Amino acid sequence: MPKHGMLIRSILVLAAAALLASIAVGSAAAGHKSRQGGTLRGAGSSLVAPAFSIWAPAYQSAKGVTVNYSSVGSGAGIAQISARTVDFGASDAPFSTAQAQGCVVNGVGCINIPWALAATGPVVNIPGVGTLQLKLTGPVLAKIYLGQITNWSDPAITKLNPGLNLPNMAIHVVYRSDGSGDTYAFTNYLSKVSKQWASQVGYATTVNWPTGTGGHGNNGVAAVIGATSGSIGYVSTAYTIANHLRIARLKNASGRYAAPTVRAIESAASLVNSRKIPKNFVGGLSIVNPPKTKTHKYTNAWPISTFTYVLVPLKTPQAALIKSLIKWVLQPAQQKSIQHLVFAPMPTVVVKAAEKALNKISS
Amino acid sequence: MSTLDTTSDVPRRPFSGRRVRLGDLLLQGVAGLAALGATVLVGLIAYKIVEGSRLSISTFGLGFLQRVGWDPVHNLFGAETFLFGTAVTSIGALILATPLALGIALFLTELAPNWVRGPVTALVETLAAIPSVVIGLWGILVLGPVLLNDVMPALHSALGFIPLFGPTSTGASVFTAIIVLTIMILPIVSSISRELFLGVPSELKEAALGLGTTRWEMVRGVILPYTRGGVAAAMILGLGRALGEAVAVAQVIGSFSGNGISWNLFNPGNSIGSELVNEFLNYSTTLELSSLFYLALILLVFSLAVNLLAQVIVRRVARRQGFVS
Amino acid sequence: MSAADATQLGRRNDRLRRRHAVNRGMELLAWLAAAIAVAILGIVVVSVAKRGASQLNLDLFTKTPTATAFTLHPVAQGISNAFVGSLVIVGLATAFALPIGILIAIYVNEFAPGAVKNGIGLVLDVLNGVPAIVIGIFVFGLLVVGHGQSGIAGAFALAVIMLPLVARSTIEVLALVPNTLREAGLGLGVPRWRTTLGIVVPQAVGGIVTGAVLAIARIAGETAPLILVSSIAGSSVAWNPIHALQTVPVAIFQLSEEPDPQAHARAWAAALVLVLFVLVVSLVARWFATRSRRKLQGAR
Repeated sequence: MPKHGMLIRSILVLAAAALLASIAVGSAAAGHKSRQGGTLRGAGSSLVAPAFSIWAPAYQSAKGVTVNYSSVGSGAGIAQISARTVDFGASDAPFSTAQAQGCVVNGVGCINIPWALAATGPVVNIPGVGTLQLKLTGPVLAKIYLGQITNWSDPAITKLNPGLNLPNMAIHVVYRSDGSGDTYAFTNYLSKVSKQWASQVGYATTVNWPTGTGGHGNNGVAAVIGATSGSIGYVSTAYTIANHLRIARLKNASGRYAAPTVRAIESAASLVNSRKIPKNFVGGLSIVNPPKTKTHKYTNAWPISTFTYVLVPLKTPQAALIKSLIKWVLQPAQQKSIQHLVFAPMPTVVVKAAEKALNKISS
Repeated sequence: MSTLDTTSDVPRRPFSGRRVRLGDLLLQGVAGLAALGATVLVGLIAYKIVEGSRLSISTFGLGFLQRVGWDPVHNLFGAETFLFGTAVTSIGALILATPLALGIALFLTELAPNWVRGPVTALVETLAAIPSVVIGLWGILVLGPVLLNDVMPALHSALGFIPLFGPTSTGASVFTAIIVLTIMILPIVSSISRELFLGVPSELKEAALGLGTTRWEMVRGVILPYTRGGVAAAMILGLGRALGEAVAVAQVIGSFSGNGISWNLFNPGNSIGSELVNEFLNYSTTLELSSLFYLALILLVFSLAVNLLAQVIVRRVARRQGFVS
Repeated sequence: MSAADATQLGRRNDRLRRRHAVNRGMELLAWLAAAIAVAILGIVVVSVAKRGASQLNLDLFTKTPTATAFTLHPVAQGISNAFVGSLVIVGLATAFALPIGILIAIYVNEFAPGAVKNGIGLVLDVLNGVPAIVIGIFVFGLLVVGHGQSGIAGAFALAVIMLPLVARSTIEVLALVPNTLREAGLGLGVPRWRTTLGIVVPQAVGGIVTGAVLAIARIAGETAPLILVSSIAGSSVAWNPIHALQTVPVAIFQLSEEPDPQAHARAWAAALVLVLFVLVVSLVARWFATRSRRKLQGAR
């Protein structure tokens, strides 16, 4: 036994050492590039995550800095930056008063600065209905999510879609089970178009949904919708395109059945030109449900457009790297580079205000 | 199982009256410290969970257990939906798994030809070794679509008059969770039962058969009564496993925690474990975080109670049958 | 035979036939139960094996995940960061739990008086009965709140799960070491601590290693606590446990909820690797155990 035991033991040790060595070499080779310029770690919104798949490699080649982004949902992004686990957070929902308070560590608070502009929209999986074919209004959408309209052949829906053959099929509502900026924008919109929704449910990154199934992240919701016939959910536009989901048109306040295109989002975002931008973006910039105006300014606006914010502590050791990243992201070239993912370039007035807000961050 | 029978009866006096060995003291001290550390750890776990739930307990009290809905907007939280979901999924899994497990155990001990015993036992043990996240993966991608497209509609049309089998919704549902949990607790209940059945003295079995009973009558009259306590303990251990399972359930149950309790197994639902997995990183308010701790406290109390109950039964069975572990 | 006897005989034969019918029915049910169980188990095992094997390639181990799959050209992806993270976290957990578990076992087996022995046994049982998610929440409250996630928190959570497993199996193996060895040592004037560490423990080393390895196999697949304390990790390979590290079970969990079939493919492949690891390790451990048990029993 002793002879064999020694043999076996030494073989095991050698094998373990070889395995460790190969992994070490492999990761050293992979990590070599990133160690040159520094690393930034961020987490949060899944809506802005597709932008990072373009930005991160581009920033790496431009500045040699590695940006590690984890798409965990806006709610978790707020929680993580409040715990200072990450260098920056990302959220489509601005800090609420309580959350802003929660982000104060050692007397240092946080700021939310918009850095991209996108949209979330209703997607459906109905046999025989293609993308941008189904027409919905805000009140009908609210009723669906309240559980009051439960079948696709309900007259409230068929009335809006005379040309479509809607089947007699139960509606399966899908929502985000994680803390989500898409939820914030979506429920914000529903609160504006439905008094019952506003009083019964309200708007936040997580709400008490009256009905439906939860999916984890934009990906999770897309997965459930893809697998369930007769389902409806809300997904940010980059994911609807990537997963070939079918978008529904939504009637905006001007009476047009809008589609979430870059133009439509830009139109909604121009709302900020007629409103005062709050100092340090406290409370965020809500651009859902742009109103009807005499000058037909927002005729084609997509009613559930949303800015997405970077969350940064006002004092942070990584201030230089973060500010440089945000400045780079705000450049027109970078804003345009994500347009194919249905991100609209931010209005100039917002970009200017964002650049000014950057000065508040110090190390 | 927890009887600590050590065969060491070496005198334990730390001081033998002769020279006190420093090494002995050191070893005993360090080892004793480790044991103390484990005890402190248990206390610390209980303390941390209770401390975390303090705010929620003072806000909602015991009414938390009856309140329905989880509302971060209005800062109102309640455990009722999750308690219901946990109860339905765990008990449902136990109901499905017990006859299957006993069937397998009886099959392996009484009926199976020798060449079948090895592979089937190996298969059951393999299943026990599969991590829960993998079973959850299989549940989402393989089981869910099959249930949604074939099984649930069939059950609904055949048995739809029973409220349990209402209209179907998504592949993620309470029913899917029950099936997944059944698969997960099957190995533990069946392997314990198998060992119990193997432990029945053959004289008893042969005596019964010698008196002219059929094999089933022998099982019913000798094996099952003899192992009654142990099988109960096995079932309870299975229940404990089902209670504690969070990840696989989170993957397949649909995360619905809304405004009501539905008896329709085909609806999405939520259990305490799955809510904890999904919500813990996403709390919006401190009251919500505290309420999540409160949920964890409830789960901890249930799991410990179930586990201790199983231990008590095992000990009573062992004593009655004079088992030496 | 009288008429009465004949009917009695007839009735007895009827009863006999009924009993045999019931017996056959029950046997059929048992066969059916076993068949259903084997079918289910077989389907799960074969699903994982088939889907995982078809997607298993070297990229899984050498490439990192891209932020999302939104790049214009398809990019080879893998979960190398998860394998490295799992290695670090499981390694750290073992380093925490193994020595402490062995020390507890030594205390219980060699030093503790009866009541204390039962008390510690109860403590270990209770620890074993705490659900993994609750342990994750405990570690979250202890190490994550205010400081953020970390690989160390993950390792600590896994160590707490491992501790009762290692302690129990070590206790059982130490109990198997025959008293004659201890008495012989003491009789020769070898101090107690030397006997324990130099004679008893080495005799039991085979069983201790087995128990440790089985515990490692068990925690390698543990997901719930890691989701809470070490899940927000970047996509590049990282070794430093100060920050959260990605792990294989958490990667499988996240990939399982994505809509992209490519993500599913990676999930199956990772699942297969994990299952194979757990199986191979358990098999090796058990083979080792039977060998060392035979050796111990031979020494009696």
